[in-house]
Amino acid sequence: MYWKPEIEILPQPQLHILQAQRLQDTLSRAANSPYYGELFRRQGIAPEIIKSVDDIRRLPFTTKEDLRNNFPYGFLTVPKQGAVRLHCSSGTTGNPTVIFHDNHDLSSWADLVARSLYCAGLRDTDVFQNICGYGLFTGGLGFQYGAERLGALVIPAAAGNTRRQIKLMQDFGTTAVHTIPSYLFRLHSAFQEMGLDPRKDTNLKLFVIGAEPHTDAQRRRIEELFGVRAFNSYGLSEMNGPGVAFECEYQNGLHVWEDAFLTEIIDPDTLQPVPDGEEGELVFTTLDRHAMPLLRYRTRDLTRFLTGDCPCGRTHRRLDRISGRTDDMFIIKGCNVFPMQIEKVLMRYTEVSTDYLIELETVDGNDDITVKVELQKEWFTGNIEALEKLSRRIANEVRDEILVSPNVRLVEPGSLPKTEGKAVRVIDSRIP
Amino acid sequence: MIAHQVSIFLENKPGRLEKVTAVLKATDINIRAMTLSTSSAGWGILNLLVDHPETACQKLSQAGHPAVLREIVVVSMKDRPGALHDMLSLLAQAGLNIQNAYGTVLGDNKEAILIIDVENADHVQKVFESAGVQTLRAEDVYRI
Repeated sequence: MYWKPEIEILPQPQLHILQAQRLQDTLSRAANSPYYGELFRRQGIAPEIIKSVDDIRRLPFTTKEDLRNNFPYGFLTVPKQGAVRLHCSSGTTGNPTVIFHDNHDLSSWADLVARSLYCAGLRDTDVFQNICGYGLFTGGLGFQYGAERLGALVIPAAAGNTRRQIKLMQDFGTTAVHTIPSYLFRLHSAFQEMGLDPRKDTNLKLFVIGAEPHTDAQRRRIEELFGVRAFNSYGLSEMNGPGVAFECEYQNGLHVWEDAFLTEIIDPDTLQPVPDGEEGELVFTTLDRHAMPLLRYRTRDLTRFLTGDCPCGRTHRRLDRISGRTDDMFIIKGCNVFPMQIEKVLMRYTEVSTDYLIELETVDGNDDITVKVELQKEWFTGNIEALEKLSRRIANEVRDEILVSPNVRLVEPGSLPKTEGKAVRVIDSRIP
Repeated sequence: MIAHQVSIFLENKPGRLEKVTAVLKATDINIRAMTLSTSSAGWGILNLLVDHPETACQKLSQAGHPAVLREIVVVSMKDRPGALHDMLSLLAQAGLNIQNAYGTVLGDNKEAILIIDVENADHVQKVFESAGVQTLRAEDVYRI
């Protein structure tokens, strides 16, 4: 039933005691990092101020900007030699967000992912094909080690090459797949093109989907197309990656692993907790990370706690699907993108103005991104080739920045909304 | 004197071309010939041969359109099969690449003109002249 029953069905009051102890430990460790050490001294914070989990409110928040400003080692609690791996966000403009792990962290992360996969129904008899980017992206190695820890046979298929993915599924009798939801639609088309029906011609029984916003209707459609149950995964690189919150067999929200992540939902304006069941910004504190603990990290993701007990018996509270963001970040093809990243590329080009518009659409079942940018009147020479070359150069540079290839569309001056005030930068008309 | 056409950047959207013609109408500019080349990326370039290119370009630019004057070479030829081919052969032999070209038949149906948009109009003009082909002077082009 459970991967770690002593934790997964621990009654909430006892879970709170465990959290308070771990929070104290986390504070002691955090004090060793240059950033928190200095902050604690200034604000008079010591592990002793934590008497219960509610004392979390006495601690400062941590934001992505804090991570960037203290890049790369400001949050490390151990000498650099003590860390064994890092993962970091995409992007070449500005500092990326980087997270360091020591061996303890990697082991407990693998355990959380194993617990998550087990919760969704994966067993050691399964063949698990991990279709996502390896490398700096956390979904690759995160699921790899988690599924190995569980004892499944793991195929590190990585992303792309759809026909080969299908061949791997057939050759090794893949029973479970992790990937982003939009890829499953492409995969299904490829099955059809090859004259195959995944419901009959594969052993698939379980999908793990995440890293990209999707609706329940989309999930049901995927389940119908493949005859497979699909489970929602939630994670973020700042909290290791996958293995933060996961759906169980009841598919009624995501159990957030409260022994490892102290979870708050706050009003993003007042920064006060919202009542259970109300929507707010998700805030996490790591409770079991040694090399780089984070306190009250503001995810900018909006969601709510689902009230009531889950029939699966797990006591860890459930999160609803992420409903949006408090900032302008969007996710395309599994990549997190801030409009600012695109803006920075455009600013290098005197041929175009700083007004731009990002349009996200669904084309043939896939995410498609178009960047519209105004041509500067003065730069126009009437040469069609020069304009095409300009579009290509911008597209390549944006791709290097956000890791997704955009269409770049030059438009007439003055035809886009002005930068003053809160200009709408992103129009997302993707079919959920 | 080298003749000029007006080149205008346009989005490939309903009503865009009409905005340009509205400016020309208001300024009493007469269009002699035109072509519209579109890219696959949703925009195009409108090339206009008009009676007063400087005025047209200035007014369009004032109205917010990216518009420029581009040098062109205009040659007249007999309105008969093969005439265009003979003309283009000269350019091909000289290794000259055409950015854009368009033609129109004149009112009397005996003569046609070819408007050629090349990077080096001066040079092209000389190629034609040395082959004995008459190129039109700017003032004649605008009077067509």
